[in-house]
Amino acid sequence: MAPSLCAICKTERALIKRPKNHAKLCKTCFITIFEDEVHHTITSSKLFYPGEKVAIGASGGKDSTVLASVLKTLNERHNYGLDLVLLSIDEGIKGYRDDSLETVKRNAVQYEMPLKVVGYDELYGWTMDQVVETIGKKGNCTYCGVFRRQALDRGAKMLDIKHVVTGHNADDVAETILMNLLRGDLSRLSRSTSIVTGDSKSDVKRSKPLKYAYEKEIVLYAHHKKLDYFSTECIYSPEAFRGSARSLIKQLERVRPSAILDIVRSGEDMARLVPGESSSTCGGTCKEKKTTAPVAVEDDIGGCGSTNSRAPGGEMAAMEKQLRENEASEGLEVDITKTVSQRKDGATDNQKALPLRNANKNSKPITRQVLGNCKRCGYMSSQDICQACMLLEGLNKNRPQIQI
Amino acid sequence: MQEQHADTQSSGGAPSPSKPLCVKCRLHEGTLDSRSQLVCRDCFSKFISAKCVKQVGIIGKDIRNPGSGSGAASQKKKYVLGLSLGVSSSVLVHLLNENVEYQLAKGRAAPFDLTVVHVDSSSLFPNNGSSSSAEETLDRYRKRYPRFEFRRVPVSDVLNLSTVDWSTLLPPSDEKTRPENEQQLSELVDRLPSSTSRTDILRLFTRHLLISATRQNECHALLLGHTTTALAELTLAETAKGRGFSLPWQVNDGPVAVVDYQPAADEPTTSQIQIYHPLRDLLRKELVTYATELTTPPLVSDLAISISSHPSSGPSQQVVSHKDLSIEEVMFLYFAEVEENYPSVVANVARTTGKLVRILGGPGAAGNEEAEDEDETTANGTSDKKRERCGLCSMPLDEQGDERWRGELGDEDVHQKEGGKGRICYGCERSLRG
Ligand SMILES: [Zn+2]
Ligand SMILES: [Zn+2]
Ligand SMILES: [Zn+2]
Ligand SMILES: [Zn+2]
Repeated sequence: MAPSLCAICKTERALIKRPKNHAKLCKTCFITIFEDEVHHTITSSKLFYPGEKVAIGASGGKDSTVLASVLKTLNERHNYGLDLVLLSIDEGIKGYRDDSLETVKRNAVQYEMPLKVVGYDELYGWTMDQVVETIGKKGNCTYCGVFRRQALDRGAKMLDIKHVVTGHNADDVAETILMNLLRGDLSRLSRSTSIVTGDSKSDVKRSKPLKYAYEKEIVLYAHHKKLDYFSTECIYSPEAFRGSARSLIKQLERVRPSAILDIVRSGEDMARLVPGESSSTCGGTCKEKKTTAPVAVEDDIGGCGSTNSRAPGGEMAAMEKQLRENEASEGLEVDITKTVSQRKDGATDNQKALPLRNANKNSKPITRQVLGNCKRCGYMSSQDICQACMLLEGLNKNRPQIQI
Repeated sequence: MQEQHADTQSSGGAPSPSKPLCVKCRLHEGTLDSRSQLVCRDCFSKFISAKCVKQVGIIGKDIRNPGSGSGAASQKKKYVLGLSLGVSSSVLVHLLNENVEYQLAKGRAAPFDLTVVHVDSSSLFPNNGSSSSAEETLDRYRKRYPRFEFRRVPVSDVLNLSTVDWSTLLPPSDEKTRPENEQQLSELVDRLPSSTSRTDILRLFTRHLLISATRQNECHALLLGHTTTALAELTLAETAKGRGFSLPWQVNDGPVAVVDYQPAADEPTTSQIQIYHPLRDLLRKELVTYATELTTPPLVSDLAISISSHPSSGPSQQVVSHKDLSIEEVMFLYFAEVEENYPSVVANVARTTGKLVRILGGPGAAGNEEAEDEDETTANGTSDKKRERCGLCSMPLDEQGDERWRGELGDEDVHQKEGGKGRICYGCERSLRG
């Protein structure tokens, strides 16, 4: 018999083994099913409404390029009626963005979408290069992530767009779930599983239509559609927990391909079991709302796109130290609440961060962060001053010394 | 840290200044690392015993609680201990024996009766060694701990249990209601799609058998040897197998529902059993130190314990390709590494997972969810009966999660393979049908 045939059309030769479930498909059927699945995610989660203006967070990398391509295709095929715009952030890393921004510019032409590029200098008065000059290379993944998260929202605001979609995929979500289990952060665990983030307090809604798409399938899709993308990798290493979770995900996928989606499923289910989470206390009545009900941002999913594996020390070492100090101070009897809240304030968010951050924070109850708005910039935040403004304050204090 | 000790060792009888003192007793030389502090052998052993004894005390109080038992406070407590022949459950046997000896030496009665049960899976999983070797190994335990009863239960005994809804394991076309003999059970296991699936199903069978042994002997509780490291592994492994929903029932101590699918009865009946993890505050590496250096003769050699592999791999496991590892083994290797440098992070994983809430109640009912505390046995008993449970792992079915997942992923994704007859959870579905 001839080489195996596509499991779907049963006429073409199967050329692709789907990373997700090892089904053997032809090129056309793979592209179709990939698009159909994203369409299903979009409709079942009711992500868009007709006429909505949507900004695609575009980095020129594979995820956002595939997202732009798929959204354009689906928008036309299913008459979503979306007004799609590419929104790109220039972090101000010399040499790093030049090529990827060129890629995004070409994408804008290829997909006939308007493009808006927003620079960190415009938004924060700091380029990433200047940040690195000031604080050194360690820990700037934090800055990069925090700044980038707000940058998209602020850029969207400038364009008067209320919805930003990002290219986060199933691997990213699974990674964030394992990372938050490792660092014992149930609050973030439950928030990171949501397909939509942002609530009434934020002006901009965020969503991730590729949430259930495997990274490997995104690469395959880009390859077979011959998409024009730039292989970007954040030049800074990820924090230790993320790096550790990432290498673990890769191993699990090798052992059982379904593991990535299974982790996403577990994460979504566990989100309902987190004490104090609103979703765990509501009955069946808010079921429909649940798929689209936005939750707080700060999900810090996939700060950078690096594939660096386990980075030594950093956040993990800081947390280990903090936990040990708690254990020591409490004797053998470890008070769980205190451990977690201290860790949360001390080590979770930043490693070598500026001293003023820790000084400013007091222990907070663990279960639920109350979200308000940053007193300086108005961005949604669980603290008085949002992460970006805190980081900026530290940077600005350091600036004179460095520059004089 | 070492400078500090140097300051304090002015009193006589101290070892030479080059050798650090134990931070706990400040009498002996500190030679062992305990939570990043140097302690002496004595203090290390005491630390291990104290952590275990504390948990055993908690169990004793729980059992005495009128809500959870037959109310006979004077009645002697009876426990079953699940022995994998790995280092943790072996150390648990050792520590419990120590506890009993200590009480007897003080002229008190033994605080509990213990039956140690080893579920022998060698017949279904040939690379786990032969059953004769399991029996031989158990003889070593019997010799060392004559006060306890040691029993070997072949895993095929699971065929006699009605706590498994056997229809879930058979394709609908099958005329049988359950596998009829060891051969058929073995074929069923062989058909499972991966090493992860086989390990997963074996773990469920073992759990069913241990629960059954506990109930048969009218014991008050089942004790498992999970360390804090093992609980962290369990958390991440179950998450990776799509079993995140059931974690609150697996990681915490306390009552767990047991469902009986008696062929005669129309409806399955639900009862309860108490499960505890007395080593939950200890790291695996601490138990390895204990078993190799602090017991005489060393447990590891005396009881032929393998310390380098996951219990499910068995002693004869060769280096296999990474693809053939199970998710449990991946996690075992991963946490062995994390535990080395970040033991408190490992401990924190288990603690955090323990805070997840057990959701009760049936689907669709308003206000159907409530926290299930360890002592909330009566509330549990009543609402549990209405609730549907997985026919294979006995965990509650997550209707809400299933419905949402179907909605989010659509049908294309699901393999339309032959399904079983009874209802099972997402995690069991994955293991049976890949
Ligand atoms: Zn085809
Ligand atoms: Zn702010
Ligand atoms: Zn000592
Ligand atoms: Zn199940």
